[in-house]
Amino acid sequence: MTDQARLFSEVRRGMIPAHIYNDEEIFRLEREQVFGRAWVFVGHESEVPQPGDYVVRRVLADSFIVARGEDGRVRALFNMCLHRGMQVCRAEMGNASHFRCPYHGWSYRNDGRLVGLPFHRDAYGGEAGFPRKGQTLLPAPSLDTYNGLIFLSLDPDAPPLHDYLGDFAFYLDYYTRQSPGGIELRGPQRWRIRANWKIGAENFAGDMYHTPQTHTSVVEIGLFREPKAEKRKDGATYWAGNGGGTTYKLPPGTLEERLRYVGYPDVMIETMKQTWSTAQLDVVGRDGFMVSAASVFPNLSLVHNWPRVADSEEVLPFISIRTWQPIGPDETEVLSWFAVDAQAPERFKALSYKAYLMCFGSTGMFEQDDVENWVSLTSTAGGAMARRLLLNSRMGLLEDDTEVVAPLPRERFAGPGVARVGYGEYNQRHLLERWADHLEARA
Amino acid sequence: MSAHSAPSRLGGHASPIQRSGGSLPFSDERHLQAHRWLVDEAYLLDAQRYDAWLELLTADIHYLMPVRVTTALGAGYDCAPGMAHFDEDKYSLSRRAARFCTQHAWTEDPPSRLRHHLTNVRTFATADPDHLVVDSGVLLYRSRGDVREPALISAGREDLLRRMPGGTGWLLARRTILVDDAVLRTQNLAIFL
Repeated sequence: MTDQARLFSEVRRGMIPAHIYNDEEIFRLEREQVFGRAWVFVGHESEVPQPGDYVVRRVLADSFIVARGEDGRVRALFNMCLHRGMQVCRAEMGNASHFRCPYHGWSYRNDGRLVGLPFHRDAYGGEAGFPRKGQTLLPAPSLDTYNGLIFLSLDPDAPPLHDYLGDFAFYLDYYTRQSPGGIELRGPQRWRIRANWKIGAENFAGDMYHTPQTHTSVVEIGLFREPKAEKRKDGATYWAGNGGGTTYKLPPGTLEERLRYVGYPDVMIETMKQTWSTAQLDVVGRDGFMVSAASVFPNLSLVHNWPRVADSEEVLPFISIRTWQPIGPDETEVLSWFAVDAQAPERFKALSYKAYLMCFGSTGMFEQDDVENWVSLTSTAGGAMARRLLLNSRMGLLEDDTEVVAPLPRERFAGPGVARVGYGEYNQRHLLERWADHLEARA
Repeated sequence: MSAHSAPSRLGGHASPIQRSGGSLPFSDERHLQAHRWLVDEAYLLDAQRYDAWLELLTADIHYLMPVRVTTALGAGYDCAPGMAHFDEDKYSLSRRAARFCTQHAWTEDPPSRLRHHLTNVRTFATADPDHLVVDSGVLLYRSRGDVREPALISAGREDLLRRMPGGTGWLLARRTILVDDAVLRTQNLAIFL
């Protein structure tokens, strides 16, 4: 048995016991204490635009049908027949008015209500013997949305999603609310990697330090002009509410010039100006920071980048949303979606999709090298020696725990939370502190 | 297999030429040429000789690998709408190839051991004698390092081959890769099919 009190105290001082990235005992705790309680992203309302549209998504082993009912409401229904437990929906997406269990034929409307039992009268004595009223597929214990992003929690007493996200919602708007129409989501690409789920979440939350090394090749081939070592350390990381992320420092200029620099056409810039708050506009226009990668605890990540997609100087921004869905302590299913502003011009949507494919996802030239690192780390973390190694995750802290760089004052960073310029592992520590809080709560 | 280039948002530039009639006899000279072309290509891909591979692609190539999804029988589609793994033109393929030629494409350094097993080749004539449509199955075995489990990727492909100017050989003008998994079991697609 691991000495958990000691493990969590090491994590909190930024020295990470290496085995937490590949440990059955830790994973059992995570199932209950993290994924049994936290808000987990499962999809976006734009994936189920019409009544009857559904997608099937999992929270670890639990399968949910995320369906829009005839009343227009989106629900998440536990995909298990009330009778003998078959999955009532075995497709991954589609449109259906009903879900009929293939085993004995119990059928449910797309809002979850049980409407049909074969031989109801003969076998159950009809409505008097077994009233169908009130019988529904189990709904997700908690379901909530923000900007159309659908989250569910297995905890019926989960706090409201907006409280859970806290000030991170401010930053989530850059990715998911560039216009009042919000985003449309396409995908996901799904693939399994032999890596622990926490590594991707930590990387996206704050690892600006890896960019110049891991992603050297994409600069060399002209895909990306940003990740020069000097460039990346001029950016800021921020932590706010239940998430944090990284930014790039933009060249001097007005709001419009800076948004044009990352490739947004004027028509989208005008809409952003009408959609975002003064503080949201100030982070870009006044302070010169543009959001890049980010994570929300536990396993949702976002990324915004602006590569070249053709042999020209033009850059095209793209947005990806992904979850690191744990399969086991050493295996993760990545679900990676492409997101784009629903009101964006069609040409922009096409080229932004191209930019996404070239950079992230199953074929992305950034992501390919990231995953290689994470698989290697996970494999090594499973051995006996990893139990004797504390990984140094203290970047940005002096020996006596004072910080190397002071937080940016509000006059230089208009966003909420705490932001600092330069390399640091503040956000990775924040994320693992949340993780330790969850694991300790009822351990 | 219907053409996927048309619904792809990035496939507008691709040749729309389709097969006509049934598969050609295995003794047909065109089939022999197409089959040989695929075998030669498989050896280039195994050896990761991507500079030579790029030379086999036309300037207007569309290289598409849709995301497969599990849908009900009768749904009418089994690929994710508007999403692919690869949706490439010559430029983006050239960037991918160029990346592997840098010293910093860590995911393939050390390189994977690759074997593209090619099978079930069928060749079809088209209305244009300078174009052939070729179906094939491919099973890629990918092994990395010493302790990792190898990855298998099984796919069907529909290729459009175009006769080289001067008539001496063939180039790939369009490829659709229908992968047989909805969830890929490999760490990335730093390979080509």
